[in-house]
Amino acid sequence: MANKENDIILTMTGVVKTFPGVKALDDVSIQVRRGSVHGIVGENGAGKSTLMKILSGVYTKDKGTIIFDGETIETTTPHQAMQRGLSIIYQELNLVNTMTAGENIYLGRFSEVNGMKGTHQKAREALDRIGSDIDTWTLVQDLSVSRKQMVEIAKALSFDSKLIIMDEPSSSLTQDEMKALAKIINQLRSEGISVIYISHKLDEIFDFCDTVTVMRDGKVIDTRPVEEFTRMDMISMMVGRSIEKEFPERPRKVSTPLMEVEGIKTKKLHDISFTLNKGEILGLVGLVGAGRTEIVRALFGADKIKAGTIKLDGEVVAIRNPRDAMKRGISFVPEDRKQQGLILPFSVENNISIATLKNLYKFGILDKNKERQIAEKHIKTLKIKTPTARTAVESLSGGNQQKCIIGRWMEIQPRILIMDEPTRGIDVGAKYEIYLLMKDIVENGGSVILISSELPEVLNMSNRVLTVCDGRINGEFDPEKASVDEIMAKALGVSVEGAMA
Amino acid sequence: MKNKGLGKTITTSIVKYKAFFAVLVMLLFMLFPRTNFYSVFNILDMLNSASILMVVSFGLTLVILAGGIDLSVGGSLVMGGILTILSMNVMPMWLAILIGTLSGAVIGTINGYIIVYHKTEPMIVTLGMSIILTGIAQELTDAHPISAEGLSFMMIGNGRIFGTIPNLVVIMLVVFAVFYVILRYTQFGRNLYAIGGDYEVAKYSGINVRREKAATYVLAGMAASFAGVLLSSKLNSASSIYGDQTALTVISGIVVGGTSLAGGVGGVGRSLVGLLVFAIMENALNMLHVDAYIQQVIRGIVIVAILALDSYDRKRRREDV
Repeated sequence: MANKENDIILTMTGVVKTFPGVKALDDVSIQVRRGSVHGIVGENGAGKSTLMKILSGVYTKDKGTIIFDGETIETTTPHQAMQRGLSIIYQELNLVNTMTAGENIYLGRFSEVNGMKGTHQKAREALDRIGSDIDTWTLVQDLSVSRKQMVEIAKALSFDSKLIIMDEPSSSLTQDEMKALAKIINQLRSEGISVIYISHKLDEIFDFCDTVTVMRDGKVIDTRPVEEFTRMDMISMMVGRSIEKEFPERPRKVSTPLMEVEGIKTKKLHDISFTLNKGEILGLVGLVGAGRTEIVRALFGADKIKAGTIKLDGEVVAIRNPRDAMKRGISFVPEDRKQQGLILPFSVENNISIATLKNLYKFGILDKNKERQIAEKHIKTLKIKTPTARTAVESLSGGNQQKCIIGRWMEIQPRILIMDEPTRGIDVGAKYEIYLLMKDIVENGGSVILISSELPEVLNMSNRVLTVCDGRINGEFDPEKASVDEIMAKALGVSVEGAMA
Repeated sequence: MKNKGLGKTITTSIVKYKAFFAVLVMLLFMLFPRTNFYSVFNILDMLNSASILMVVSFGLTLVILAGGIDLSVGGSLVMGGILTILSMNVMPMWLAILIGTLSGAVIGTINGYIIVYHKTEPMIVTLGMSIILTGIAQELTDAHPISAEGLSFMMIGNGRIFGTIPNLVVIMLVVFAVFYVILRYTQFGRNLYAIGGDYEVAKYSGINVRREKAATYVLAGMAASFAGVLLSSKLNSASSIYGDQTALTVISGIVVGGTSLAGGVGGVGRSLVGLLVFAIMENALNMLHVDAYIQQVIRGIVIVAILALDSYDRKRRREDV
């Protein structure tokens, strides 16, 4: 018996947390075994993040017991939690950008490790342990997202963590970086360190995890060994209703050319040419940095075009800045919604109306009622979970923030909607809504350019897929015929002879 | 990054060390006109006049690094001088100097407490504090300059070591060394960078963000009132108006030196160079007999130009990524 108890690193029993008006956690009980990878899945707002914040000491629980490593924990602070051996790697990375990687790993422990020299020495050891070659003297702001994540993991290890919580660690990683992460997770497991892995990507859950807990509306729905789950029942448990499919029927409305791009060159792009048809969803696939985002930025007037032409309805148009693009009916839902898309302290309604404000003036005065009506309409159709239209966007969950941006562009009624990673960090139910929206746009004569790292999404929604590699478009596929491997190989720039079906 | 051209490397480093280059350019330029600029006496004199504001800047740099601002340094400077001279009538000089210096610590403690523990806007709190201090200073002096009796106090600010190096320059360098070591080699110093860089992250890393941040105001107040002691010794007088321009002059020097008002980036070394830019410029323009009003215009242009370079640099870097 004692042996068995020793086998458990974390026990949460009957944890309750109430926020004004919301029961965020309702009698949650979870056990995590030592040296296991425990997945937690659930829609946005299911309570995963609240639970993790209670564990790490950002929030205090109302009720329930938490036993970590044999010790009952009443209250804690993030720092105490780390010193006990419980680290969290947040979705929004928790590093000081203006400091070096090494200093970040030993942040707040400068004197403990004997100053700058010790800091970098020890940080080097921590990074070596996960096989990372990051120079400890690099400023964190100069690191890519995945490398920042490595720094976070090294930081967690530097505390001799017994349990590391990873909140959506893969949301911005490329395939290669994912493999590196997988390796690290396996290594942690073999060293007897437990990992709580939170993700929306079910593939990863099935790949990495030993045990999975499904949460919905603040409750634990079920915990089982991963082998006892099928993909579909996991999804059904998450959304609380049975889902027959993850994707809607592919729209089939492709007609005549709408936009013709010829020989576009920018700082990062070489000779980009393609055609976008009316009623078409065009998928762009490539690694991060390969140029997919750069292509749409150029079309949207956000990057300077050095050569080449863009034709709309057969006429050459000049798109010098985003304003020009919007005048011609091109809308862009950017990847980094916080930086480029939303004004966080603004309310939901202000964020939705911001691009169409000029239609809302009556005798030079903003028609607040109309603004409210429009916002309410989108809150309803997009099922944005917000207390009121006046709530500040920053207090919404990631998925709901994304929906606010989509609502904004829907309001413009774009002819061409460009979506860069529209479903990143969004739960299954909301994803489906976004797919339906895309379908709605193309069925009403518009077109969509879809950039996504999630291949199943691109393959199931697009009418045509272009692969982007090294600033060039190097392949075109019919998603109904092509295989994932084939497209991926092309996007990676690998010769496809072996992979041809 | 790897195959950058030489030209690009040079531009990058010019932008990075812009204040340093501004100093170099001015020094080179002054080689040509026939002036007394390059006499030992002039150079030491120039440093001498700059030392007092430099001492203020070292303390204020800490506040700015941690993401705050202190507009009351002028008030602390004034109080330091006035309290020292007033106290000297009734107690030994060293004790009077101590009281003058500690007055800034008291002011800084109040600033820090209100700003950090009551989460108020530092700009407003310290602006209010500076108005209060001006009032107190006027009350204490009846709005007239006051001076110390006897020559011993004057010797501190006007004496020279070995008859050549001004005391003030030496004192400034000592204060600089102290702050440099604090920032560079202590946990407290590194914590300030973390707090200014990302307050939440610093908090979650177990740093006592409130205490550390409040401490910056104490140190800034103390540095400012100590500078006030030095100034009153140099001029053998103290007055409620001596601090009127201090905060903005020092802040512009700090920023030109390369410490970011957003916090997290910079250091006292940069502040020293930043204030040196203005010291050299003023001295050189005087040597060239440039009209005092025109000097003001030039100073404003230099501030804006150097900061414009900053944003140019940021823009270029963004495109590189």
